[in-house]
Amino acid sequence: MTLEFLEPDRATSASGFDPVASSVLEPHARAAGAQFELRERWRVAVHFGSVEREVAACRSAVGVGDLSRLGKLELQGGAPELAETVAAGTRGAELELGCALRIEQAWWCPFSRERVLVVCAPEAVTALRGALEQATAQRAVNVIDLTCGLAALALVGPRARDALARLTAIDLRPARMPEAGFRPGSVARVAGTVLRERGDHYLLMFGSAYAQYMWQQVIDAAALLGGRPVGTDALGRVSEEVSPLA
Amino acid sequence: MTRLPKRPGERIDRAREIAFEFDGAPARGFEGDTIASALYASGRRVFSRSFKYHRPRGLLCCAGQCPNCLVSVDGDPGVRACTEPLREGMRVEHLNAIPSLDRDALSIVDVIGRPFTPPGFYYKTFKRPRRLWPLYERALRHAAGLGRAPTKRPERRWRTDYRRRHADVLIVGGGPAGLAAAARAAQLGADVVLADEGNELGGHLLHTAGTERARAMSQCARDAGVELIVPGSALGYFDGIVAVWERDTLHQIRAAQHVVATGTVEQPLIFAGNDLPGVMLSGGARRLVSLYALRPGNRAVIATTADRGLEAALELLEAGVEVVAVADLRADATGGAAEQLASRGVPLWRGVTVVEACGRRAVTGAVLAAVDATGRPLPGSERRLRCDLLVVSGGVTPAASLLLQAGARSDYDPSLGTLRVEQVPDGLYGAGEVAGLGGEEGIELSGALAGADAAHAAGFGDEGSRDRAEEERCRLGELRPPAAASAEPPSLAHGRGKCFACLCEDVTAKDIRTSIDEGYDSIELSKRYTTVTMGPCQGRMCQLASIRLMAAETGQDLTAVGATTARPPWSAVPLGALAGRPVEPAKRSAIHARHRELGGKVMWAGDWRRPYDYGDPQAEVVAVHEAAGLIDVSTLGKLMVRGPDAGAFLDRLYPNRLSNLKVGRIRYGVLNTDAGRIIDDGTVCRLDEESFYVTTTSTGAEAIEAWFAWWLADWRMKVTLTDVTQALAAVNVAGPNARKILEQLTSLDCSNDAFSYLDGKRAQVAGVPCLILRIGFVGECGYEIHYPVAYGEYLWDAVLEAGHDHGIRPFGLEPQRVLRLQKMHILVGQDTDSESDPFAAGMAWIVKLDKEGDFIGRWALEDFSGREPDLRLVGFELRDGNVPAEGAAVMGDRRTAFGRVTSSRVSPKLGHVIGLAWVPRECAGDGSEIEISDRGRRLTATVTTKPFYDPEGERLRS
Repeated sequence: MTLEFLEPDRATSASGFDPVASSVLEPHARAAGAQFELRERWRVAVHFGSVEREVAACRSAVGVGDLSRLGKLELQGGAPELAETVAAGTRGAELELGCALRIEQAWWCPFSRERVLVVCAPEAVTALRGALEQATAQRAVNVIDLTCGLAALALVGPRARDALARLTAIDLRPARMPEAGFRPGSVARVAGTVLRERGDHYLLMFGSAYAQYMWQQVIDAAALLGGRPVGTDALGRVSEEVSPLA
Repeated sequence: MTRLPKRPGERIDRAREIAFEFDGAPARGFEGDTIASALYASGRRVFSRSFKYHRPRGLLCCAGQCPNCLVSVDGDPGVRACTEPLREGMRVEHLNAIPSLDRDALSIVDVIGRPFTPPGFYYKTFKRPRRLWPLYERALRHAAGLGRAPTKRPERRWRTDYRRRHADVLIVGGGPAGLAAAARAAQLGADVVLADEGNELGGHLLHTAGTERARAMSQCARDAGVELIVPGSALGYFDGIVAVWERDTLHQIRAAQHVVATGTVEQPLIFAGNDLPGVMLSGGARRLVSLYALRPGNRAVIATTADRGLEAALELLEAGVEVVAVADLRADATGGAAEQLASRGVPLWRGVTVVEACGRRAVTGAVLAAVDATGRPLPGSERRLRCDLLVVSGGVTPAASLLLQAGARSDYDPSLGTLRVEQVPDGLYGAGEVAGLGGEEGIELSGALAGADAAHAAGFGDEGSRDRAEEERCRLGELRPPAAASAEPPSLAHGRGKCFACLCEDVTAKDIRTSIDEGYDSIELSKRYTTVTMGPCQGRMCQLASIRLMAAETGQDLTAVGATTARPPWSAVPLGALAGRPVEPAKRSAIHARHRELGGKVMWAGDWRRPYDYGDPQAEVVAVHEAAGLIDVSTLGKLMVRGPDAGAFLDRLYPNRLSNLKVGRIRYGVLNTDAGRIIDDGTVCRLDEESFYVTTTSTGAEAIEAWFAWWLADWRMKVTLTDVTQALAAVNVAGPNARKILEQLTSLDCSNDAFSYLDGKRAQVAGVPCLILRIGFVGECGYEIHYPVAYGEYLWDAVLEAGHDHGIRPFGLEPQRVLRLQKMHILVGQDTDSESDPFAAGMAWIVKLDKEGDFIGRWALEDFSGREPDLRLVGFELRDGNVPAEGAAVMGDRRTAFGRVTSSRVSPKLGHVIGLAWVPRECAGDGSEIEISDRGRRLTATVTTKPFYDPEGERLRS
């Protein structure tokens, strides 16, 4: 219970206060015409005026959607202890550097043998964090909620890779970046990670303080290729299972 | 009539006319024409004026290699007319002639300017009187140069797109060798990219009757899945990255293997008048004929040192040009082309070359002669011929810049009569003519083999493909046709006019001799002194000639002379392409939008954008003292340090004790280097037995995280470290009403007894989980609230609303600086520098030398503790209203600068100027006077070592 001040899902409505969480990208999405709805205490950009056009962009070019409210839990500890924790959480599967593992509603993304980032659906973060804290109670592994520390953008569509190629030198060729490929690296000159969830669906994560800057860079790169910002409604439509958020 | 009847392989579409403008006058061409070919068809022969002498220049290479056809297109200078495709509505203008290309007033320089413009003239002439140099400079700059960059750009018309591309094999050069390499590598399974700077793939095939073959090879490459970047100029080799400029896109290509098939560059000859319009390289003449169906002239003389000149003569004959004579410097020139010329009755004179081009504004004749080894015409051998076209070929030089940039070497090969590339590093392959191969079969085979080798090295292919490659290697060895051998053209040029070695910079052979005479007798020195090879062609046309001249003049062997260093860019590229779009990563807090809405003056603070004030910094200071202020301190570095060794870890990093910090308490800490110098400061709050929350300065966050991580890796303690800087927003509400405001937002007992100064507590504030630190940087009762950024604006709004009736106002960095200065809190990096230690900075209290165990900088700090520092950091006050500049000197005795002012401000609360300064120790006592030298005035200030405001901290702890 030490670190609840890091955990956005700990907010409560009481004494006349009703906190609503918002993505750091919200002001920029709003400026781009986003319409918002409340979902599990988060204000979510659901569309930008036309779900149909956004779906079309995802199918023909690239759609850029804000998934910053995804839960993100960092596990850090000695390599053997962390491996045990991971095995417990992944039903015995092992993590390979460069490759994430999808277990139910979470991606297990290895940064190193001592550090793993678990990315999950927002509604799953409370339970998952609790389970991990329990699993690590007797091990020298720390669990820290970084949901708010990392913003996230989904890039979806046949030109998603081309858009990313304008931002990063990470080798995104399918032969080098298979599905579930996970690469930390420099994206638009800041530290970021690229997860290829599947096919043409990529998840880009970066420090939340760079929200405005990255939004500009990514939307700019996408727009060059006929892409545009899209809301969660369109993201949910283009695939049955785009990401843990869907 | 310049335009010929339709020719096979011509590029133009005669059914589609294009209208454009040249120097304000309407002009026309066909689709497929370049600017130059369209203008040439209309009768234009002068395309530019030379850099220094303003001599008329005409088409020379027609391949984008020389500077003779540089024009401005739609306001953008530096465009090569001979390769730029014609577009409807283009506005084409000449560059450096006044008032026109045909009548340039500055051509007077050619007549009388020589004494004033020798090599290095800016060191010799135009230097007295010195006060006139600015005038000379302006005049010279106006007279010289190759165009004007636009000074205004109301709207940016283009933008550079950056594209990162990985590949297994990158092929540079789309001629037959490059295409063969690309197809082969792709067929073996490699991911291949091919870049060629031309408008169409095929290289020399396009103008040597090989168009069909070029198209077939291009299609083969496409079918194999090769990505083609055309036109794409490979600008340079940058540690494994090749930058390719394609219109508005700069591709950064990282390939595992590189094949360079960039061919060769035909060389001009040096003789008097060799720059006149009408002098054309054999390749240039052939391109005009075969690609654009243009007759380059009516009556031609050919002067060559290689077969390509003879081939050009045949093609000109076929195009209806009268070939008066062919001078082949080779004494033993034989072969099919020579025989064909003979059969058509064209005089072929062996052992003869051109020594002079006649004419003033264009070629009207040529003087041919046999020459001796020094290049002097043999008496009685001169023949003067009338012509309007003088086609020359001085052999070739490999276009090897990329290979050389990557680490290959080039040496002169007398058997080839040109440079040869050797010592090509691993991962690179030369193919085709650039590698010294010749003959169509050899060129293609070398390309295919290079492609195979590259693909195999990248891990593709199989035993069968490797066996095949070995067979091809043997075959190539048998073939091994050398690049067409050429005779050594004469190095010394004697004539009755200027003999240009470098057309770009107007450097003559005599200029190079002069530079050697003046002591610049190495190729690198001569280059810098004369500027040869430094113009738009970047040595394509003149590097080899300058090496030959240097060798002849100094008596050195050509291999001993060497070549100048190859550097990028190989081709001209707009600076804007390299600068790219403005990309400036900026960090912003989650509350940033609110600051803008509130009128915050946002400026850079490190790599963050922060509000400096909200319109009235003085009033913001007063509000903090009299009611409450709210500041966004989200930028603070925040680190979670956890684990059984966390306390011991921090004890090793800091000079004070932290392992004995009680849970829920906070301690100030200063970090120093091994040498005891201050690098950062911040607070440490203990959350539980094994968890510490560390804050750092905003600008130091990343460096301190790296510092902690480095030591952790070394000490291998049981600690985990997580940077949560960007996960948490933080606001500080401070002032006499701060407690009342907080109490409206939380159920936490905020009484002074329950929540004392330097306590850290977790609680919900406005429903949001928070860590509240009761600390003070601004001298009043204050609470620093840390919480998830998802509630950034929400909580900021809640505090402002709660504080509305208590007089709260937001305050920014500037008032914060005044407030902290009143308390004499240092700003690391402003009040300290890389030499400042805690003792000299007045913080001896923070160094616990009685601490057990070692800590960073202990040894140095022990040493400092036993010494009196020469300078001390103290406060000072000025009551005369003068505010010394930060950085102003503090004078020691003997009236020399001995210290400096680091911070100074007017304090609205105190009503006078306060500051911090490093002063000599003898002046560092309370009440001492110091003299500050500031912008020409002397100010006297009084030293104080105690905080200016609330020195006992009563308000802070209230």
